[in-house]
Amino acid sequence: MMQGLMTAIRAEIFVFTHSRSIQLLCVIPALVAAVQLVLVRSLAASNEARAALMGTQTTDDFGGGGFGNVEGADAWGALVDALGTGLTLISLILVAYAAWSFASDRDQGVLRHLLIRRVSRPALVLSKLIQAHLLALVSIVLMLLVTFGSAALLWDFGPVIEDGYELIGTADIHAELRLGLSLALIPLPAAIAVGVLVSVLSNSTTQALSMALGLTLGLDLLKSVLGGAADYLYASYLVSLLDESYLDDVARLVRGYSDVMIDPAVLQLNQWVPWPQMVLFIILALVLVRRKKL
Amino acid sequence: MTDAVLHINDLIKRYGDVEVLHHLNLEVTRGAIHGLVGLNGSGKTTTMECVLGMQGFDSGEVKVLGRHPRDLWQGAGDVVGIFDTPGLHPGLSVRQCLEHAHLLCGKPVRKPAEVEALLGITKYSNYKIRQLSLGNRRRASIAHALIGQPAFVVLDEPFNGLDAGGVDDVLALIQRLNRQEGTSFLLSSHQLAYLESICTHLSILHQGKIALSASTDELISPSESRLKLVCDQADAARELLKQTLGVINIEKEGSAFMLTLDGIGPGDVNRKLVMSGVTVSELQPEKRDLSALFQKIVSQGVA
Repeated sequence: MMQGLMTAIRAEIFVFTHSRSIQLLCVIPALVAAVQLVLVRSLAASNEARAALMGTQTTDDFGGGGFGNVEGADAWGALVDALGTGLTLISLILVAYAAWSFASDRDQGVLRHLLIRRVSRPALVLSKLIQAHLLALVSIVLMLLVTFGSAALLWDFGPVIEDGYELIGTADIHAELRLGLSLALIPLPAAIAVGVLVSVLSNSTTQALSMALGLTLGLDLLKSVLGGAADYLYASYLVSLLDESYLDDVARLVRGYSDVMIDPAVLQLNQWVPWPQMVLFIILALVLVRRKKL
Repeated sequence: MTDAVLHINDLIKRYGDVEVLHHLNLEVTRGAIHGLVGLNGSGKTTTMECVLGMQGFDSGEVKVLGRHPRDLWQGAGDVVGIFDTPGLHPGLSVRQCLEHAHLLCGKPVRKPAEVEALLGITKYSNYKIRQLSLGNRRRASIAHALIGQPAFVVLDEPFNGLDAGGVDDVLALIQRLNRQEGTSFLLSSHQLAYLESICTHLSILHQGKIALSASTDELISPSESRLKLVCDQADAARELLKQTLGVINIEKEGSAFMLTLDGIGPGDVNRKLVMSGVTVSELQPEKRDLSALFQKIVSQGVA
């Protein structure tokens, strides 16, 4: 079993390193986040230039927002927004990729070669999970490097100051950003597991993709309706289009909103709820793949 | 059980309420090239998918090289299957696909360049699978399967999409692997002529059952009990033959008679006719036509 799993992982890594389309998927979130930063900076610069010409004060609605004259908020605000955009794309891409990967290989008959030769059905599922996590790792690292690098080139970062009063120091911002990012990353494995489960359940690639994306967007819409029950859903902590993750709060915090605080109970739920759900999805996929026609 | 690479006993497979394989029995002996013939929907692909563990079955026993189909992966490439879909990543090149297959094999194998040459696809080595024609994709798929020197190869419709030259190449390759390396094959096709030319054994699958299974020689060898007769004095000859003990049926086919004999041979018939003054210009055992046999089974149902 272990030997088969290792073979499957090696085979998946081979495809990962040789497929242009997979490499493109890794790059897209970083590119979009960087483009967002450049656009925000360009618009802010043009706004400042216009204000200088008119002899008025900038309202600075681009990227910064917040209270308008809060120093340092623009840079941090734009950075956290770009991180949010990158992570939203990454979570959607990962769910879609996880759903597409297994179903597509099954439709094209690729799984058959693996299955007949050296890989058991459960090892097939596990190798797909590992490949999706590898994709996640590469795209997250790339997105973080590109986003922080681009932001550092475009802005000077410092404490957030209003009327000479430091609202939040750089060290505190770093700490909140680290917390926001780590909490946003915790539900990703569960999202990947959902993608793989849907892929195993579906009968075609199209069905797998539409089901996985439909489910993800559906949960995104539902979480605001579910109220307190949404706290027990992994999807509530994903950075998403209708974002309710802590990273969204961090974006407000760095803009000078001082009322942002994470509830310790929610923090605990964010840290623990996605894991058992991920395990459940993986177990279901491993059980169901045994009876599936491949 | 004999020295069989594949042993299927009493296999039943249902899709919902529809039973597609009814108590199917089939054995492929080691070193055989076994052809599986049947109409569309007769159950060929389902049988092959059950054999290779792609789908489960409801009851019966299937052993491939002594293993249950679900455990084929433990054989590290002893068994391979080639289906109608090429089973190759469309975004990878031919060479990359073969290197991928190389990764999957757990024992000494052919080199990718070697199988490319074997299948005549060396010049397409750097082409992406999606850029290849259907026939070349089929060749690449066969190359992918052969990289691990398997002991048993299952091929579903291997000639689909191949031009005449491609078919000849694949037929020659199968025969070569069979003779030189002792590789056993189970292949399905609608192309009876191809199967007849290459297979050592043939099975006709009809309505989910093996209607006939025998060695090819046995199926197409001339029959001593069916004779084609061409002679003069047709009416006299017919009357004479009617009165001859052992001639159990006489059919007129154009200018010839088709005789069915029981207990007597062609020599007896010839002697009787010549002694009665009939000139026999042709008297030969009927060569069996596989296509006619297949049509007969299909039209009559399971024998």
